[in-house]
Amino acid sequence: MSKEYLVALFPRKRRVLINGQFMGTTNTKLELESGVYEVTLGPPLNFSPEKFEIDLRNTASLMPLMIEFTEAK
Amino acid sequence: MMSRHAIRLAIVILAFILLPGCAHYTVNDRSQNFDATSGYRFDALDRSELNSDSLFVCLMFSGGGTRAAALSFGIMESLSETVIRVDGQDKRLLDEVDCISSVSGGSFTAAYYGLFRERLFEDFEGGFLERDVQGALAGRLFNPVNWARLASPYFSRIDMAAELYDRDIFDSATFEQLQRNGRPFVILNATNLGVDRRFDFTQEYFDALGSRLDSYPVSRAVAASSAFPFLLTPISLKNYPLAEGYNAPWWYKGAIRPASWTSERYNAAKNLSVYLDKENRYIHLMDGGLSDNIGARSVLNAFDRGFIRTRINEGAIRQLVLIVVNARTQSEDQLSRSEKPPGFFTVAAKAGTVAMDNYSYDSVTKLREALYTRVQTQKNDQACAALMFQQCPKAPEPVVFAADIDPYVIEINFEQASQIPGEKPRYYLDMPTSFTLSKEQVKKLVAIGPKLLKAAPQYQCMIKVLAAEAESKPRPEECPVGAGIFP
Repeated sequence: MSKEYLVALFPRKRRVLINGQFMGTTNTKLELESGVYEVTLGPPLNFSPEKFEIDLRNTASLMPLMIEFTEAK
Repeated sequence: MMSRHAIRLAIVILAFILLPGCAHYTVNDRSQNFDATSGYRFDALDRSELNSDSLFVCLMFSGGGTRAAALSFGIMESLSETVIRVDGQDKRLLDEVDCISSVSGGSFTAAYYGLFRERLFEDFEGGFLERDVQGALAGRLFNPVNWARLASPYFSRIDMAAELYDRDIFDSATFEQLQRNGRPFVILNATNLGVDRRFDFTQEYFDALGSRLDSYPVSRAVAASSAFPFLLTPISLKNYPLAEGYNAPWWYKGAIRPASWTSERYNAAKNLSVYLDKENRYIHLMDGGLSDNIGARSVLNAFDRGFIRTRINEGAIRQLVLIVVNARTQSEDQLSRSEKPPGFFTVAAKAGTVAMDNYSYDSVTKLREALYTRVQTQKNDQACAALMFQQCPKAPEPVVFAADIDPYVIEINFEQASQIPGEKPRYYLDMPTSFTLSKEQVKKLVAIGPKLLKAAPQYQCMIKVLAAEAESKPRPEECPVGAGIFP
């Protein structure tokens, strides 16, 4: 029942995919169960890295796990 | 030469020998190709113009035979008579119902509405609630024509019950019709006897079985959901090899790791893995009440890792309304007034119900706590942002949720009848669990539902908040966010 918190940073608003499922957007706080996930962004594929493998645990709403995608040139 | 009498006798004996071999339960169809965008799953369902995601409503109908079906029917009537305004549009509260999770007796109301919609209010009361379903089942059971079929190891009392429901109640409808009708998503809950776990009739489960749900009769799912132990027998499903291209649900991937065994995600993944293990070639299902007599667990799953979670993270849900229709009974405690210890049958009856009653209580508590935790998190975030603005105005603003949610958990049960003038809770709390009730009992059950709903302070708050929003007025002071759970 306890939740963990994740923010995927990106210069633009883009949909976030968790294990292939659309789940909110970049730069907003996502609430998920703890555990291992693969995080990437929706198209277009102009971001880097391609994906993050994260182990989401020990976060707090005020201290979410922050991962940052940058715009690929 | 054999006499005519001897020939007839030989034919009858031959029929009794051969017929059992012919009788077999309806087998679920195999799926050839996996398609995550179709089938009976929430995300594949259309919603009507009157259904918004911003007001997201899920109903839970408990078990309890006709008593539960009648109470939930009364609640459906009440929702159909309640007019609200959302996003500038007048509609019935019923139009906003997005999912119904049901168990046993409650599954009849849920499935009937899912299939036939407004017809529920026209013929369900006479066609099911006031009908002697138990007598009709017994009539079939004692009909000698059926004895040969019942002698088959692959055809049992539950299959006979499912045939009756199919013909007389559900018009031979399959899940394809439920799917065509769109929201609400009806989750019919049963219990897998092999692993003592909840099973629900959704395409997500059937995907793991390598099977198609669309061609499966709704009547058999309702029969499984209401297969009361001993009186009825299990409904069986075949577990096929996975369909081509099968992809496990997003939350399943990476969930089964030894270090995660204490998490609920791990537990949910273990539940699904039962069907992915193809050594388990058959699944035998009984009354959903054995694993969750409220229907709350599938809604909790949707909140934790399903269609509710994705919509919360998308910021689509503003008000999340969960209505629990709990037809639980409670006999008056005479044991505590007697010096003599209870006898064998009393102890046996208690052994069968005590754990489940406590589990049901915990399920509703868990719903409340899960949603209230979200409220507290939102309040902490707001307080922190306000404090930062006050103390460090130049500091970057903290990242926030896509949208805050305003949750409501409304439980309807007979104990609350004490709040309603002229009503005696004991009348309802002593009612039997049966598929045969008198017309008077049915009428009273149908009538008490709307009264209980309207008397619930959480419901009153929800109506006030929706009305204030519709008129662009401030939120009523007596209904702060969170009052929809703990008023």
